[in-house]
Amino acid sequence: MMDALAVPFHYDYMLKAMWVSALIGSVCGCLSCFVTLKGWSLMGDALSHAVVPGVALAYLVGAPFAVGAFFAGLLAAVGMGFVKTKTSLREDAVIGIVFTTFFAAGLLLISLFPSSVSLKSIVFGNLLGISDADVSQVVLIALGSLLVLGLRWRDLVLFCFDPNQARALGLNVRLLNFTLLTLLSVTAVAALQAVGACLVVAMLVTPGATAYLLTDRFGRMLGLAAGMGAGTSFIGAYASYFLDGSTGGCIVLLQTLVFLLALVWAPKHGLLASRSKRLQALKAALGRPA
Amino acid sequence: MNPAPTNSTVAAGLRNEVLVSDVTVSYNNGTVAVYDATFRLQAGSICALVGVNGSGKSTLFKTIMGFLKPAQGSVTIGGETIASAQRLNWVAYVPQSEEVDWSFPVSVWDVVMMGRYGYMSFLRIPGAADRRLVEASLRRVEMWDFRERQIGELSGGQKKRVFLARALAQQGRVILLDEPFTGVDVKTEAAIVELLRELRAAGNIMLVSTHNLGSVPEFCDQTVIINRTVLAAGPTVEVFTEQNLARAFGGVLRHFRFDESTIQKHDGRTVTVLTDDERPLVFGKDGHVEYSQRNGREEVVKQRAEQEDDE
Repeated sequence: MMDALAVPFHYDYMLKAMWVSALIGSVCGCLSCFVTLKGWSLMGDALSHAVVPGVALAYLVGAPFAVGAFFAGLLAAVGMGFVKTKTSLREDAVIGIVFTTFFAAGLLLISLFPSSVSLKSIVFGNLLGISDADVSQVVLIALGSLLVLGLRWRDLVLFCFDPNQARALGLNVRLLNFTLLTLLSVTAVAALQAVGACLVVAMLVTPGATAYLLTDRFGRMLGLAAGMGAGTSFIGAYASYFLDGSTGGCIVLLQTLVFLLALVWAPKHGLLASRSKRLQALKAALGRPA
Repeated sequence: MNPAPTNSTVAAGLRNEVLVSDVTVSYNNGTVAVYDATFRLQAGSICALVGVNGSGKSTLFKTIMGFLKPAQGSVTIGGETIASAQRLNWVAYVPQSEEVDWSFPVSVWDVVMMGRYGYMSFLRIPGAADRRLVEASLRRVEMWDFRERQIGELSGGQKKRVFLARALAQQGRVILLDEPFTGVDVKTEAAIVELLRELRAAGNIMLVSTHNLGSVPEFCDQTVIINRTVLAAGPTVEVFTEQNLARAFGGVLRHFRFDESTIQKHDGRTVTVLTDDERPLVFGKDGHVEYSQRNGREEVVKQRAEQEDDE
C-alpha cells in the first residue's frame, strides 16, 4: 500500500511536476491576496488570456516565453487603459473586449503555426510534459516575483487599501500599479504552464479568497494563501497521477474544496460562525442567557 | 485627552502656510472644474472649505493634496511644492468614511502605522520611534485599547478617530479632513473639534471640507467659500454671511424664514435657518411642528391662534 502511494515519487517527471506546481501555487497564492483585495479578479482573468499571443509569438521566434507574455500583458493593460479613458464604457466591458481580442489573436497564431506550440498545452496546461528550459523560466519568474513581493508588499498593501494615502505620502502610485500588473502577467504565464490559460484565474483568486475568510490580518492572509496554493498544487499534481486526469483540474478543484471548507467552518466569517452569532444575538434580545 | 506627541517639524516650521494662487484645474474632457482660485492659510488655523456638490470643492481638495495638477497657477506649502511637501510628510489626509474599504484585513494599529511609511526605509520596517509615535497617537484619540481590532469592527466615531490618529502619527503640518463629522456621534464630534483646536494651537493648518454648515462657525476660524472659483475667503466671522452663502448655494440651500413660517408671535427680529443637507425640522413653543410657508396653511395658523386665545 505504502509502496503504491509512493510511486509518483519514483518518476522524475512527476517529482518535477509536483515541486514546480507547488512553487507556482505559492507565488499565485501570495498574489491572489492582492487580487482579491484590490478587486482585480476580472483583471487577473483578462491578463491570463491576454498573455497567450505573446507566448505563442515567443515560441515562434524562439524567445523565452516569459518575455512574450510580459509584453503581451503590458500591451493589453495599456490597451484597456486607453479604451477606458477615451470612452465612457464601463470597465468590465472594456476588459471583456480587450482580453478576448488578445486571446483570439493567440488562438489564430497557434492554429496557423501548429508545429511550434500545441494549443492544448496553452489552454489546458502541460505540467507533466514541461521542458527543462520552461522549468528554469518558471523558477526564475517565481523567485523574482517572491523577491519583489518580499521587498514591496507593505507598499502594495497600502496601495490596495488606501491609494490616496500612498499618494499623500509621495509614494509612486503609478509604479506600484505597474508593479502589481507586471507581477500579475508574469505569474499568469507561469501558472499557465501548470493549469492552462482557462484555469489561471482560479490560482490567482481562490487561495486569497479562502485566506480572507480565515483571518483579519494581511500578513497571516499572505502566509495562509501561499501555503494553501503550494499545498493544493502539490497534492493536486500528485493526485492527478492516480486519477490519470488533468493536473489543472485536480489542483483547481482541490482549491475549491478548501474554499468550501473555509466558507462553512471559518472561525469568524464562516457560515456556521455567523449562524451561531445570529442565534446568540437573538437569544440576548429575548432576554435569555446565550 | 492625553498630551501630544512632540511635533518638532511644526515647532520649527515658522513659515508654515498654504498658498493657493490663481489655480485653474481642468479635466481631460475639457471641463474646467475650478478657475482662478486664490487664498492663503496661515499657521495655526482651522479652515472650512464650503460649497455645493460640483462646486469644485473636492477638485480643490485633490489639488492641494497633489492628486490633480493645476493647468495654471500653483499650490505651495511652507514655500515648497506639493511634491516636495509630500516627501517631507507634511500633508496628512483623513478620508471620508465612504472611501475606505472597511472589510480590508488590517488592524487599527496597522492603519495608524501607515502614517509612518514616509519616514521608514525602503523595506518599511517600523522602528522604535515609529512604534512610540503610533502608540502616542492612539492614546491621544483614546483608541489604544482597540489597537488589535480589525477596522470594520469599530463604530463610526471610532473609525474616524483611527484615521485622525494616522494623521497625528504622520506629524503633518497640514491636515486635510474630508467630511469629518458624517456618521459620527455628538461626543466624538466634540472630541475631534477639541483635538483640532489643540493642533491649531501647535501651529498646524487644518482644511476641512464639509456640508455641515452649522458646525463651521463653531470651530473654523477661517472659511473659503467656493463655486467654481473662490467667492470669499478669510476669517469666518467676516466671510460666513447670509449673502455669501446665498451666492455660493443659490437656490440649493433650504431656507427657513421665521417671518414666512407658521410660527406666530416671533418677536419681530428676523431669523433664518440655512441648511445644505436636509430641511430643518422646527417645533413651535407648544411642541407642534412648524411649516416653512404660511401660504396654503392658513387653517393651521388660524387654529393655533385660536388655541392660544383659549388659554
